[in-house]
Formats: sequence, structure tokens, C-alpha cells
Amino acid sequence: MEVTMALFITKRLLMALATVLVVAVLAFMLVHAMPGSPGAVSLGAGATPEAIDEVNHRLGWNDPLVVQFFSWLGAAVQGDFGISLIDGRSVSADLAGRLPVTASLAAGATLLSAVLGIALGVTAAVRGGMVDRIIGGVCGMAVALPAFWIGIIFVYFLAVQSPVFPATGYVPFEVSPQDWALSLALPVITLAVGGAAFIARQTRASMLEALQQEHIRTLRATATPTWKILYVHALRYASLPIVAGIALQFIQLFGGSVIAEQLFAMPGLGQAVQTSVSTHDAPSVQGVVVIATVVVVAVNLVLELATKFLDPKLRAS
Amino acid sequence: MKLLNSTARASSAVLAGALLLGSLTACGGGSGQAAAKVDTSTLTLAIDSDSASFGFDPLRVSAAQRQFFEGLYESLMTLQADGSAGPGLAKEFSYNADNTVLTLTLKDDVTFTDGSKLDAELVKANLDRRSDPALSAYSAVAKGGAQEITSVDVVSPTQVALTFAKPQPGFEKNLASTTGMIVGKNGVTDSASLAATPAGSGPYILDPATVKGNKYVLVKNDKSPEAPKYAFDKVIFSVVLDPQARANALVSGQADVAMLTSNTVDFAKSKGVGVSQIGGTVNTMVSFDKIGKTAPAFAEEKVRQAFQYAINRQALVDALHKGDIPAWNALPKDSAGFTKELETKFAYNPDKAKALLAEAGYPDGFEFTIVAGAQTQTDLQAVQKDLAAVGITMNIKMAASTDEAFAAVATTPLGYAPLSWDNPVGFMYGAVLNGFTNVQKATDEQLSAATGELAAAKDDAAVKAAATKLNTRLVESGWMIPLYEALVNQGYNTKKVAPVEFAGTNAYPLLSSYKPAS
Repeated sequence: MEVTMALFITKRLLMALATVLVVAVLAFMLVHAMPGSPGAVSLGAGATPEAIDEVNHRLGWNDPLVVQFFSWLGAAVQGDFGISLIDGRSVSADLAGRLPVTASLAAGATLLSAVLGIALGVTAAVRGGMVDRIIGGVCGMAVALPAFWIGIIFVYFLAVQSPVFPATGYVPFEVSPQDWALSLALPVITLAVGGAAFIARQTRASMLEALQQEHIRTLRATATPTWKILYVHALRYASLPIVAGIALQFIQLFGGSVIAEQLFAMPGLGQAVQTSVSTHDAPSVQGVVVIATVVVVAVNLVLELATKFLDPKLRAS
Repeated sequence: MKLLNSTARASSAVLAGALLLGSLTACGGGSGQAAAKVDTSTLTLAIDSDSASFGFDPLRVSAAQRQFFEGLYESLMTLQADGSAGPGLAKEFSYNADNTVLTLTLKDDVTFTDGSKLDAELVKANLDRRSDPALSAYSAVAKGGAQEITSVDVVSPTQVALTFAKPQPGFEKNLASTTGMIVGKNGVTDSASLAATPAGSGPYILDPATVKGNKYVLVKNDKSPEAPKYAFDKVIFSVVLDPQARANALVSGQADVAMLTSNTVDFAKSKGVGVSQIGGTVNTMVSFDKIGKTAPAFAEEKVRQAFQYAINRQALVDALHKGDIPAWNALPKDSAGFTKELETKFAYNPDKAKALLAEAGYPDGFEFTIVAGAQTQTDLQAVQKDLAAVGITMNIKMAASTDEAFAAVATTPLGYAPLSWDNPVGFMYGAVLNGFTNVQKATDEQLSAATGELAAAKDDAAVKAAATKLNTRLVESGWMIPLYEALVNQGYNTKKVAPVEFAGTNAYPLLSSYKPAS
């Protein structure tokens, strides 16, 4: 069994590495397909062709693509994504500062949406009737509402009308854990609304199926406490699609955090990608794409391993 | 099937109660500003763009970033509250007889954060970087620029002479903006260091709490003799790109001052904040091609005039720029040349537009392409509908790059840009008659004459007469097709900050002008 598991993990790791490599190649090619060159971008529209050529030469832009790619890759695996064409700062240092912001947002929103979504989904499945219909209706609306609009409403009521939370900004955890939590509250809730509705639907469907299972009926007959039947036995049986849904939510929220980052003026990866694409800052674009891909691939890997752990049939295969 | 036991129900009730309490709190009303504690030690400004997207070299940015860089750097001249130029790092200045040489006398007690001292050599070293195309602040003074400096010479350790390609009376005002900002010796020698570390002599220094692109924190520079002129010990420039979020930050007390878009002004005022406003920027369609090289129809003045009648400016403002002012004048409302007559003369009249097109030989209209950027796309789509109604098909092509957007002046007949008319004569000579908006080299005797008259005008009456003539002709000729005048709005927390004042007609208040509320 251990050998099978080790083989499985090795295979998945190799596939994950291959995925990151393919994305890195694609990002590299797309950046090269963008109009303009690093020299033109960094020197601006008024630059002479000689000056642009000099910068391009210095950055190795005129080298063969393969040479450029492997040179970039060699540095990237050591954590060096190069220097921004716009402000000359280290891309890696910039991204290292921004990653915790986006990760906090995505992780917080995923956690909140998972807790709310599972609670609502279980309640809908167990209570049925009017409660089920109300939860279904609310979730339908929540999925349909744009996060941007939800954010504006939350800010209006919870920051403008009643100053419970700050309207904008991000406070790093190391500066003040309390202010960090407060600064994350509204953007996390904003992002979690749609995610909670999605997970609630997923949970409801899985729980309905789980509650029909023979072993759940047996547990009821043996006077096992209700909470244990629901939250231990039935939920574990129903957990596979729910875990997959939560992982997908994290990936979606990680990529979609740009909305919350813009609305709440947070210095995350979403803001970085927006700026670097609009300024044609190739090294920054490549860095963000690769970092985001690594996160997504890692989450998928964890999901697969969790799935394997949760499902005895898969574990044995 | 009832599977929830009493404990679960009790938990649900507690959760529901908490949510209800939360929602009641949310509906409680009241302003965040009212509850905020007044703190005169820190001023937080919510701004609409990254102040230092190119790092901390003030010469890489233009006048729009002056306010931020004013904290870190001093200029050779200083913008005064009335909009004029006063002494700065140069305590005196003088011109030679024909205004081709400007001699500056420098202060002798200025130290930069990199330890270097101000002297004529340093000023020369700064200005000699003018051929560097990355330095936007120097674009007008570089070789071929509208106000070209041909040489910078050290007269003595405290005197430096600027020689111009042609007479430049009044050039000193340029030195009150980023063009005149002086970078310390280390920054000049190694300009790459300015990407992360400023090297100025300004009243503030950059605090490590700064988060690039999000929050720039400036604290008082104890070594600057200018620092006492600045009221706040700490100034935070908070970058909030979304306009509604900026307004929210202001009314909730997170920002003390915020740049507001016109459509958030009413909301901000309703929450009790003060708003200071100034106009000056006219968003204008510009006829690049007046000789018909890229689109033959544009050679006809009647065709260009038809655009003036075809566009429903009021509808454009109502739909997309609530709070701004529809513009029929090329020059801003507060300029000497503004005239109400143009508003009635070129009032929205699609029938008249059609008639003019027919008279010009285009009864069925014509087709052309305009290159748009992300900022201008929605405006152009609104104009596109108006033009279609009179038979003109305007295809909108999104610029794939900055290069393409710049190249459009030569490849398309019409463009769209926000134009600031702080210096009408300079703009006419530098951009309209000879510059980038006229690469096809069209001529208009009336425009040239009016510009000359304005340049030579000696008193207010003469300025008004010439400017009105110029403004009227710009519109009649269709060289400029104004759409609306954007207001610059500075919202401020009335409990903490005194009413914001603008320096003359400059759209960006002086950093030194922010004072605590009395």
C-alpha cells in the first residue's frame, strides 16, 4: 500500500511540475508576443531606436528565445523573477509582499464559505420543506450577484453607515493581528458570499444522497446522537464533492481576488497583475502567472491527495 | 424527518440573533467621520493612481504627480498659492535682454538625503539628463522640445545659466513643477537607485511603512528648513483606484482628503464632507488630419463643423460624467477666452449636421476609424451613436499598445484626449499649430493670428479679446471638438482639514496647502 501511495504521489508531483513548466513556457511566449520590447516599455514612447536597442541588448532580448527562456527559468527556480521594467525593483520581492495579501483573502473567504456553505447545505438537506426552499432561493441569488456589487453594499452598511470595519486598506498580520483581521473582514465576506452559496448547493445534494444510505438508517435506529450522524457519518460520506467544491472555490477566489483588491485597495497579486499587464511589464507578468499557477497546481495536488484519503475505494486502487 | 436536536436549534437561534444584531448595527446610521478621532499628526490622502509607479525619480513623472514628489524633493522654483512661481532652491532668477538665458542663484544651505549638497554643478548634472527619453519631466526642454534648453552652464558655485533655443520669457514657472525638481548627487550618478530610494531635499522622507503601489508614507525631514511650512508630521498617500472606494474611505474617516470623481461628489457631500472643486481640463476630440490625408472628408471644414452639431454633449455628461460640465468651448470655463456664444451657436442639432455634410459633398455620410484606449472607449461609444445618427460611421479600434496610440496622430483623422489649457500660447505653438496634433502640417491663418495676438497681449482686455478669438476659431474650424470639462474634486474631512485650496488654476493642490481645521 505504501509503495502504491508513494508512486501515486510521485506521479502527481511530476505532473504538477510539468503543468507549471508548460504554463511558464506559455507565459513566456505570450509576453514575447506582446507588442513592443522591454526597451520601448522602460524608456517610453519618445525613446530613440538606438536607446531602445541598447536596453534590449542589455536585457538579452535579442538572444534566441530558447536561450532567453532557459536563462529566465534558471533564475526563476532559484526564486529570482528578474527586475521590473517599470520601476527597476525585484519582481520576487514585490510578489513576496503581495502573496500573503491574496492568500489571506482567498484562504479566509474559502474558510468562511466552507463553514457557511456546509452549515446551510446540511440544514437544507436535513430540514427540507420551506427551509430548503428558502436556503435554495437565497443561494440562487447569492450565486448570481456580482461580488463587486456585494462588496459595495457591505461597505456602505458596515463601513460608511456604521464604521464597524474599515472601508479600504490592508494591515499586515505582523503589524497588528487585530487590524489585520478587521481589514480582511469585508473583502473576505464579499468574496465568501458566492462561494458559500455554491458549497451549500453542493453540500445539500451530497447530503441528500448520504442520508438515504443504509448505514445512516442503522445509526438512527441505534440511537446515535443526531449531530454525530449528521456531521460525522453522513458528512464524511458526502465529503468528496464538497471537498472538491471547496478546493475549486479557493482556486477561483485566488484568481478572482482582483475584484476585492481593487474595491478595498489591497496590495495583492490581483492588483499587481492589473498594473503589470497595463504597463507591459513583462517580468512582473511572468512572475505573477507562474506564482498563481504554482498555487493552483499545489491546491489541486492537495485535493487529489485528500480525495484519495477520504475515499477508501480510491485509496485501495 | 426532524434531525435537528435542541442543541442544534439553540445554536441556530444564537447565530440568527448575531446576524440580526449585525444587520441592526448596520442600519444604525451615523457618519464614520463624525465618530473619527481628530488626529492632526497624520494626513491621509486617498489618491487615484500610483504616485511612484516608476519609482522615486521625480523626473520620470509629469505635473500630475507633483503633489507627491513635493514631499520628497524641492524644485528650483516653488508654486505659490496664487499659481505664480516663487523662490525655491533658486532664491533669485534673472533673464538676459532677449530672454534666451535664464540665470538662477541657488541657496547655499541645502542638503540631500544622500548627503550631497546643492550647488551649480549638481543642478547642471540634473538638467544635463534632459536627453534621457525616460525622463518625462524634461520632454519639453530636451532637444527638439517646445522649450528646448540648448545648454546649462555653471557660472559660479551658486549660479547656473540655462540657455534656450528661442526666447522663453516666463520659463521659471516650469521650474516650479517636476521639471525643476533636483535630485541629489547619488541619484543623478546612479539613477537606478531612485527606483527604490528617493534622494531629495524635501520636507519629508520616505518611511519604511511604505507599501509600493498601495501606501506611501512620508514623515518629516528634520534636516529640511522647509519642513516647518508643512502642517502634518506624517503624510500617507493611499492609492485607491476605485472611485467609489475613495469616496467610501473619505466618508468613513479612513482618509482625510480624497480625489473624488464628479459622480461621487453628491454622495460625499451627503455624508458631511467638504468638497473643493476646480475645472480646467477639457476632454476634446482633436482633428489630427485637416488636409484629408487619412480620410478625405476631414479636409472639409464643413465636415469638421458637422461633428460639433452632431454630438449630444449634455446626454454624454448625463450618462457617463455626472457632475462634469458639457463643453462647447475649446478653452475651459475659467479661462479668459471662454464665451457663452459657442454654447448656442453649436448647440446639438443633428439636422444641421446632416445639412453641412450634404453641402460638403457627403450627403450619405462617410466612414473612418478612431483609435481608443481603455479610458476613452465608453465616451467614444456614446459619440459613435450620435455620429451614426447623422450618417457618419466611426469605427472604434482599441489601441494594442502605447506605440499604436501615439502613432494614431498620423494614421487616423480624429483623436480624443483630455487637454489642459494652463498655458494656451505654449500649447498652441507646441502641440496644435506645430506639434503632435498636426503631423499633417495643416495651416489656419486665423488660428495663427489669434495665437500671435494672445502671445503679444499686454493687458487683461487684450488677453480676453485674443483668447476669445482663438477659442472661437478652434471650435469653428473643427480643429477641436470639445465634449466636456472635467472638474477636479478634492473631498476633505471638515473636522480635521481646513477647506482645500488650489494654487491658481493648478488642478493639484500644494502639499503645503493642507492645513488642520481650526
